[in-house]
Amino acid sequence: MFRPAPSPVYTLRGAGGPLNTLHFSCHGGDTPLLFSGSGKGAIHVWNLNTRRAEKIVEGHSGSSVIWVSTLQETDTLISQGRDMQVCLWDLSEGRSEAMDSVWTGSVGFCQCSVLETSPGTRLLAFAGQQTEEIKIIELPSKTPVCTLVPDAKLGMVMCIKLWQPDSGQGPLLVAGYEDGSLLLWDVTQRSMLSQAKAHPEPIMCLTFDITCLRGVSGSSEDKLSSWMLDRQNNLQLQDDVTLVNPGVSQLCVRGDGKLLASAGWDHRVRLFGWKKLRPLAVLQYHTDMVLSVAFSDHQDPRQRLLAAGSKDHRISLWSIYNEGADTG
Amino acid sequence: MPSIMAQISDPKIAFAYLRPACVLLTRAPTVTNVETLSGQLKEVDDATLQQLQEYVLFPLRFVLKVPGPKNEKLVQTVAEAMSHVLEDTCVQSWETLRDLLLELCLCLCSPTDPGKPADTSEELKSAVLRCLDALLHAAYGDIVFKLFEPVMLPGLGAAISLLLALAEKEKSRDVQAAALKCLQSLTLQCDCSLEHVVPSSEERCTIGSTVASFLPGITVAVARIITGDLRQGHAVTIRAIKVWSRTVGLVMEDAQIQAGEPSETPSADLGRITQLMVQRTPAWVKSTAEKLSVLLRKIISCTSSHQHWRVRLEMVELDDHLLARCSQSLGECVGPLLEALVGAVNDEEPRVRKRCEVVLSEVSQRTQSRSSSDITSKSSSSSAQTFTDVLSENLHSLATSLPRLMRTSNDQKKLFVLNVFLGYLKVLGPLVSVVLNSAAHLERISKALMQVLELDVMDVRIVEERSHAATIETSPGSPDPYTAHTQRKHFLYFTDEKIFSALMEICRTLGYYGNIYLLTDHFLDLYRQSSAYRKQAATVLNEVVRGAAGIAVATDGHGLEREVRGHSASQEDLTVAVVSVMEEYTSLHNWHLITVSEETERDQQDQQLLSPAGLLSISNNNVSNTKANSLQVIPSSFGTPSPSPSTSAIHQLNSNIWQLCIQLEGIACFAQALGQDFRPILMTSLYPVLEKAGEETLLVSQAALGSMWDISEACGYRSLKELINENSDYLLNDVSLNLQRLGQHPQAPRVLTVMLTHSDCSLLPLVGDIVQDVLTALDLSYDHKAALFCSVLHALMKALARWFPSSCESARPKHTSPPKEVLDIRHFLLDLRKQKELAEGIGIEEDDTEDLEVPPPTDCEDVEDIGGPDVKAELPAHLCITKDVMERCIHLLSDPSLRLRLKVLDVLELCVCVLSERENELLPMAHRCWPALLQRLTADDPLAVLRAFRVLCTLGETCGDFLRRRVSKEVLPKLSSSLVRQAPVSAKAGPVYTHTLAYKLQLAVLQGLGSLCHRLDLGDADLDVVCEACLPYLSCRQPIRLQEAGRSVFQHLIQVDPDAFWFTLNELHCPSSYAPPHPDLHPVHLSGMGRPRDEYSDNVLKLLREEFGSVAETAS
Repeated sequence: MFRPAPSPVYTLRGAGGPLNTLHFSCHGGDTPLLFSGSGKGAIHVWNLNTRRAEKIVEGHSGSSVIWVSTLQETDTLISQGRDMQVCLWDLSEGRSEAMDSVWTGSVGFCQCSVLETSPGTRLLAFAGQQTEEIKIIELPSKTPVCTLVPDAKLGMVMCIKLWQPDSGQGPLLVAGYEDGSLLLWDVTQRSMLSQAKAHPEPIMCLTFDITCLRGVSGSSEDKLSSWMLDRQNNLQLQDDVTLVNPGVSQLCVRGDGKLLASAGWDHRVRLFGWKKLRPLAVLQYHTDMVLSVAFSDHQDPRQRLLAAGSKDHRISLWSIYNEGADTG
Repeated sequence: MPSIMAQISDPKIAFAYLRPACVLLTRAPTVTNVETLSGQLKEVDDATLQQLQEYVLFPLRFVLKVPGPKNEKLVQTVAEAMSHVLEDTCVQSWETLRDLLLELCLCLCSPTDPGKPADTSEELKSAVLRCLDALLHAAYGDIVFKLFEPVMLPGLGAAISLLLALAEKEKSRDVQAAALKCLQSLTLQCDCSLEHVVPSSEERCTIGSTVASFLPGITVAVARIITGDLRQGHAVTIRAIKVWSRTVGLVMEDAQIQAGEPSETPSADLGRITQLMVQRTPAWVKSTAEKLSVLLRKIISCTSSHQHWRVRLEMVELDDHLLARCSQSLGECVGPLLEALVGAVNDEEPRVRKRCEVVLSEVSQRTQSRSSSDITSKSSSSSAQTFTDVLSENLHSLATSLPRLMRTSNDQKKLFVLNVFLGYLKVLGPLVSVVLNSAAHLERISKALMQVLELDVMDVRIVEERSHAATIETSPGSPDPYTAHTQRKHFLYFTDEKIFSALMEICRTLGYYGNIYLLTDHFLDLYRQSSAYRKQAATVLNEVVRGAAGIAVATDGHGLEREVRGHSASQEDLTVAVVSVMEEYTSLHNWHLITVSEETERDQQDQQLLSPAGLLSISNNNVSNTKANSLQVIPSSFGTPSPSPSTSAIHQLNSNIWQLCIQLEGIACFAQALGQDFRPILMTSLYPVLEKAGEETLLVSQAALGSMWDISEACGYRSLKELINENSDYLLNDVSLNLQRLGQHPQAPRVLTVMLTHSDCSLLPLVGDIVQDVLTALDLSYDHKAALFCSVLHALMKALARWFPSSCESARPKHTSPPKEVLDIRHFLLDLRKQKELAEGIGIEEDDTEDLEVPPPTDCEDVEDIGGPDVKAELPAHLCITKDVMERCIHLLSDPSLRLRLKVLDVLELCVCVLSERENELLPMAHRCWPALLQRLTADDPLAVLRAFRVLCTLGETCGDFLRRRVSKEVLPKLSSSLVRQAPVSAKAGPVYTHTLAYKLQLAVLQGLGSLCHRLDLGDADLDVVCEACLPYLSCRQPIRLQEAGRSVFQHLIQVDPDAFWFTLNELHCPSSYAPPHPDLHPVHLSGMGRPRDEYSDNVLKLLREEFGSVAETAS
């Protein structure tokens, strides 16, 4: 009943370093793009039609790029490096100029989270200089919105996710800490709403599905922990999934809320059904830790790819579970 | 002479001058008299001659009129004289014209039977014919039409039939042509350069209706001449075609027939002549057209493939003439006429083609203009529609009969039919797609193509030709991409290359004008339908796509509606079509075809490795040389023919090979069609092509290589290297993926091999990535795929050795034999004293200048090396790879398969070469592989021993001391003891011994030992051991090859230490005695002196002569 393990549609090589982060941008223009940030400080812009790096942006003076994203309304790339800078790049009309940069002061690996509040303005959340500190500023004015520091000692901030709930209240932020705790913050109130101890080990990554208010987090242990928010904005832990090998670098839920992908330290990408966290497939190609996964946001569901970036300097592209996908 | 002299211009003087000769001639008709007259005639000018015409002609005519048999010579001179007169004058009187015509005809016909030509000489006939021609040209306009009055019908008829008979039956070409020319003049259709009477339309009508009476006779007879003997020469045929077309054009002219016959009743006094007259009624026209069409078909079939282009050109003229004048009255003939015209569109002669294009465009214009006038008048039935209708109809019917014609007719006929077909396609232009829309016709056309393009797959050589490493590892810079010979395709149903090119052009034209989607779909269907059609369908598809892109399609100049649209396929359409075809071509079951039968493959590979060619000259084994060696392996050198698989299997293999070749060509075609737009498709197409470039079957790999060149050209790359380098990411992606699934994709290593062979070191960063994959894959499947991987590793190391030429071949100086000049004792002693003084501290200061001669201390470089950077630099990528590969080699060295061991030894040698620049890396690796290598040297197959020697030599050059001790401790004792032990055995053995393993081992060791000693710089003790062991092999009792090998050992030894071995050899046998130059010196005693000739002397002498030749002479 099992089909043979699939192989990647294509592998992008030549990044020249471990691939910490991936980001698809298939909306604008006719060429679908994939952005990758490498451990050598380069951001590659891959053209998914020619499957070649269209542009290479070097902006973090050689230090590892840990997060890249694009801002929707403009051709703006936002990248975070371990040189404690978050840079904004203008990519329109073939340019690649640094427009602006924000100094974070964080030495950790915590990736930023960006939220578009209204056209032209957006909130950027990042780990601050202090150990447990999360800072939120408004872009492009760079005015600080708030600083969130928990009362207890939870260790470093490992991962954050900022979103705007439907209920109309201010933006919420969920953060994972070094001691395995998850905290839910109300950004406008600057108060902690809820706390849960999801893992005994540091939380390495989390992802949160806004539509069903569910999230999942991974750690250096062999468990994925899922949790959800109830009406009162309480974090409630749900079932765990046990993995074969410990260690998850990144988690990603597909846009249609059907698939969850995990980037494993065991060189494998695992796929789960998002509803019940049923294991579906193990994608084996890489020869080193998988550091990042991303799902394409392409309009045609059949062309929605999964990309996995690994420490072995390669990005593998997979076409998985999207044959019969409908828009509905 | 007359031409120089002023001509007589006064009629009176002329009369007086000519009169005596005329009178004399009338009295005595002799040749001399005629000649006198004609000589005098030349001195009279034209106007005067005109006045005296009747007077002069009279005696001449009188000669002809004299009853009774006549002297031929006389008649001839008379005719010549008369033609002179007639050529310069005009005939104004009807009687003269009529009588002269009859008289001349009488001269031609035989006296007994007036209907037949006389049996006279050719000169006479041509003279009379010339005269006749001159007469007709000289006739005045107002009298010449009297010739065509009904009264003249019998006379005219007689003349015509006479001329026809001459034209047909006569042997001489000149007479034939002259007769035909006369016929033309007689119907006032002459086309020579002289002035002619231009008849008015009424007069034309008269002539037409008169000639109509003779039309059947003329057309039938002339058609016979045209279709007659091919050897009659083109001039006659051309003339005959002219007569035919002019005559038919005259009689059947549309204008005349539409105007209607002048319906005057023939006057009663004509009597029976009325029976000869023809009324050109519609019924008559119709029946005549039918008959003419029969003749016309005959003529066309004969002339359209005539070898002389002038004939074909004349045929086009005929088409033009008739289509222009009588397209309506000829009715049925229009079809064949167009067909002939259309067939000539593809004539190989450009002049014919050009004329034909002009004619065709005139035809189409005429029909169009006629149709526009018809629309206004709405009276006539003809329209432009009819022309295209006729063409389409013809195309339809031709398509219908095409399969049958392709099956049954001979090559020439096929070529004609195909040319016609092509012509229709070209003339119809874009309208072709309408025809193709009819499924039945497309089916017919494709059936015919499928049938005629069937390949002959019987050729056994195709399967047997192997490329091995030779072709795919051609040096990357080889400048001539197209020298790789492409095998000619052999077809079952035709042999003429022209037919093939016609077929290909048909396909291209179909592609150009047809709907590309329809065509590709249709032919892809055929391709899928059955394997019988696959190759043909692919061939057609390739050309259709090329045509659709407008490549090699001659389109300008004709085509009915060329302004409507240029060509049908846009670039996007083309891309889509190409992608779909490519997908089909490279799909698993159409691409991975078996081209080699399994056991032959195994066999041949074994033989290749074991063949002696690969083992030549291990002494100078630098990289370039090993390459040369592997290139020397020629498949045909295999002695034993491979066991031939059953014939049907061979057919299958052949068929597979051809299919692959055609598909590869196809990919090249697609690249050409798309140009730069093909670049994105390289993502999927380049890998399959490279896969085939690594194929063992020669034909396939060559086709693939050719295809690669075409692709790189089409996509704008300057070389294969650029093509591969620029697209290495695409290729390596597939390679890496497929390496993980070797079970399904065993070709991945091959692709890598091809890439490495054709690329340069810029590929290294990406390749480094893949090599890890290869090694991982190898580690996972040592048992099954080791051989495959070994070839990859070999290619890889070869490439690395090429990309990073190391000290091993360039920097390290070769050992040169020491200078052979005689030692200067005096100089030596002086030097010695100086050194001694220096050592004692005398003259240090003043001898500074001379000190310069002392060689500087050699170890200064080493000191610098030692004091190098403290930081351990990261190893360059290629060295890392080499180390990894070498690691694997250590494991594989003890593989049970000999083939593999040999390959691994080769790889190992290359590894050593590459690593040699870093001793720090090399030594540990050498240490690690030593035990395994030792095993190969001492306890393996002779072949492996020899190769191991080679590795050892290479290793020795770089590792030096490290290896020397080991060799002298572990290798030499074993080898020398075995040599010593075996020497008596081989000396005594019979001829069978050379087939034993022991012999081969001996030979291998002897062949390798010399260079080992030489390159390893072994110490004296070791050399003695070697010398000891090899001396027995200088005996003439040993097998020849062992002796040779033994000598080679000594040759190397002598290079290392000439003096010692000169002595050794002389101890054994000394040819000359050495007298001391001074009595104070001791006489030289060598134990070999004065010995009788023994078993060693031959070889020793040979060695002494070759190696010490000059020394021996000067010493003695």
